[in-house]
Amino acid sequence: MVKEMSKDKLLAEKVNVFYDEAHVIKDVSISIQPNTVTAFIGPSGCGKSTFLRLINRMNDYIDGFRKTGSILIDGEDIYDRKVRVEDLRKQIGMVFQKPNPFPKSIYENIVYGLRIQGISNKSVLDETVERSLRRAAIWDEVKDNLNKSALSLSGGQQQRICIARTLAVEPSIVLMDEPASALDPISTSKIEQLIHELKSQYTIIIVTHNMQQAGRVSDKVAFFYLGELIEFSETKEIFINPKKELTQNYITGRFG
Amino acid sequence: MSKRVDTNRIIDGLFRYFGIACTLFGLLMLGIFLYSVISEGFSRLDWQFFTSLPSRKPEQAGILIPLFGTMWVMILTSMIAIPLGVASGIYLEEYGKKNRLASLIEINITNLAGVPSIIYGLLALEIFVRILGLGKSLLAGSLTLALLILPIIIVATREALKAVPKTIREASYALGATKWQTTWYQILPASSGGIVTGVILAISRAIGETAPLIVIGAMLYITTLPTSPMDDFSVLPIQIFNWLSRPQKGFIINATAAIIVLLSITFILNGIAIYLRNRWQKKVKW
Amino acid sequence: MDVPKEPEISNALNTDNMTHLEEELSLLKGELTNMWQLAISQLVKTREALVQFDRDLARQVVSAEKRVNSMELKIDRDCENIFALYNPVAVDLRTVLAILKINNNLERTGDISEGVAKYIIYAKEPFDKELLDSTRILEMYDQTNEILEDVLKAFETEDTRLARSIFKRDEVIDEINVSANAVIADYIRAHPDKIEECLYLVSMIRKLERVGDHCKNIAEEIIFNIEAKVLKHKSKKKKEAE
Repeated sequence: MVKEMSKDKLLAEKVNVFYDEAHVIKDVSISIQPNTVTAFIGPSGCGKSTFLRLINRMNDYIDGFRKTGSILIDGEDIYDRKVRVEDLRKQIGMVFQKPNPFPKSIYENIVYGLRIQGISNKSVLDETVERSLRRAAIWDEVKDNLNKSALSLSGGQQQRICIARTLAVEPSIVLMDEPASALDPISTSKIEQLIHELKSQYTIIIVTHNMQQAGRVSDKVAFFYLGELIEFSETKEIFINPKKELTQNYITGRFG
Repeated sequence: MSKRVDTNRIIDGLFRYFGIACTLFGLLMLGIFLYSVISEGFSRLDWQFFTSLPSRKPEQAGILIPLFGTMWVMILTSMIAIPLGVASGIYLEEYGKKNRLASLIEINITNLAGVPSIIYGLLALEIFVRILGLGKSLLAGSLTLALLILPIIIVATREALKAVPKTIREASYALGATKWQTTWYQILPASSGGIVTGVILAISRAIGETAPLIVIGAMLYITTLPTSPMDDFSVLPIQIFNWLSRPQKGFIINATAAIIVLLSITFILNGIAIYLRNRWQKKVKW
Repeated sequence: MDVPKEPEISNALNTDNMTHLEEELSLLKGELTNMWQLAISQLVKTREALVQFDRDLARQVVSAEKRVNSMELKIDRDCENIFALYNPVAVDLRTVLAILKINNNLERTGDISEGVAKYIIYAKEPFDKELLDSTRILEMYDQTNEILEDVLKAFETEDTRLARSIFKRDEVIDEINVSANAVIADYIRAHPDKIEECLYLVSMIRKLERVGDHCKNIAEEIIFNIEAKVLKHKSKKKKEAE
């Protein structure tokens, strides 16, 4: 039997996650295509953030974490013993809910990812800083102040610095855990615009509580509930005619 | 309704004045103490005082040897306690598993910080002086004090590390850093202010300790400068103690002058600690 | 929300477990139902006015048309508000879209009733009963009335089966419309002095036929709302199939 070469960027099959006895992700299978934006939605505690963190193995640090099933990225099992988690994380970047720049200069924030790989050539670093800040649509605002502390920027700017920092290591997948929930509407709009522009070069998965945001930025939507993947469809379908009643009840605000 | 508000306001005012009174009381006591010490001993402070060896005559006696001893002790103790304490703190906070054993260790270390210092003296007497055969040397003294301030440094290090938000660590890991890289490049720099502050305060505590050093046999009266870690030694607090127990008034004045010197060293160290802490807090506003 | 004097329906809402949006949608549906009842009553009145040649009744219809128009405007505005403020999705979105279009169709139906009433006012004398019978205009009226009421029922009860039945039943109306031409032509040859009256009647019949079309449109919207199936511009066979 010849198995067709899968072009999926990410393929999860029958994934279950346990924290000690708690069964928090139940038999989730999903396949995500390259250069798409996928939104994970669902009520609090439904497992969407947990599942997101499976992808860059951030759950490894939690006591009692156990997983079954497989997660393949570009066809390779990311939980294989031979995989070095530090290498994996250079391919998969993550942006967090609360902007978390390091208490250092903007320049040092961006180059940190490169420094830990041993790259210290100044011209390489300089070029990376400019490229990343441009891609994060914040170059013009900070280019004259690269040595200023990143903490002196506004919340929306800090978040874009975090995005630039993530992009600097050239990942192919970018994970975003409610990246705009702590920001004001204008900053939120800038981040959404950014996601739209980044789509052509990266595969993006974004967890969001904001239904309208999911509608604005994503191509496909995955609805999680109590650890299960209830529905995974094109965004338009979910918003005009969802297949499952549970999905409809959630997005119309009938519960949760 | 407004009667309730009146009562509350009265209580508020009462506490305000009570608080001011308490604060003034403490400041007053400190002020009286400083004034009496300075007025009595300040005149004795001169170059001769600093550079003279001990003598039976109070006007000729000086603090050179104990001052030297205090400096040496400070240096040696730092060299021993700081690496040990900071490394332990980092290990316990960043690397250690957070289980019941870890909680037990944490409680015990905190307790150790409160153990009376003379107990450390007894411990040191047995282990350093007798078993290891170090005698009543500078080295033994420094080891003793290092042991004394180790828990303080460990706790201060842990607190400083705890103050660094978890999100910084997450961001570092998410970029592909190892635990050590995260600790070295992000956590330590961010917590250095807190660690340094804790270390300085620990050192300034150490140089004020008298009891454990007396127990291990630090000399009340030595006539030569210590030149190696194995030599006999004395420190300022012991010299002060010595002079205070003599009947001659001249020695009381000497003791007072020595107290001023010791206080000055302590104030300077604490001042540096506060300055560093303020600078650190300005830089790292979470 | 102002409840029109006639006809009235109960607007009692059970708001215990509804979200704010659900409350708004419920009110909106109530408004639409009111307008619907008014449109039906307008149609019935014109039938009555035609049979009895009651010009006063016809004038009532004409003046009531203002109310139909103002109800249409209100419903339009309410739909706009719901879109802007609540961002409805899925079934809620389809409901508001359907209501918006049904609103439009009902207003046209109101216009048609007004148009028919005006002809009755303009006519110099009562219409010949024989002519009314031979053109089957009253039968047409009855059918139209029925399907307008049934499509309201389908809306209220979300009965897509009933909605689907409208398409076939409209055929009768179309058939009467087509055959009326020949009948009236014959009558004109026989009574050339009554040509004006006949022209009015032809127009009335055309208008009634359009009411049938509006009911079909409304049925399509109801089916889209409930099933998310788009039946616009599909063949009749597909529309009837389930």
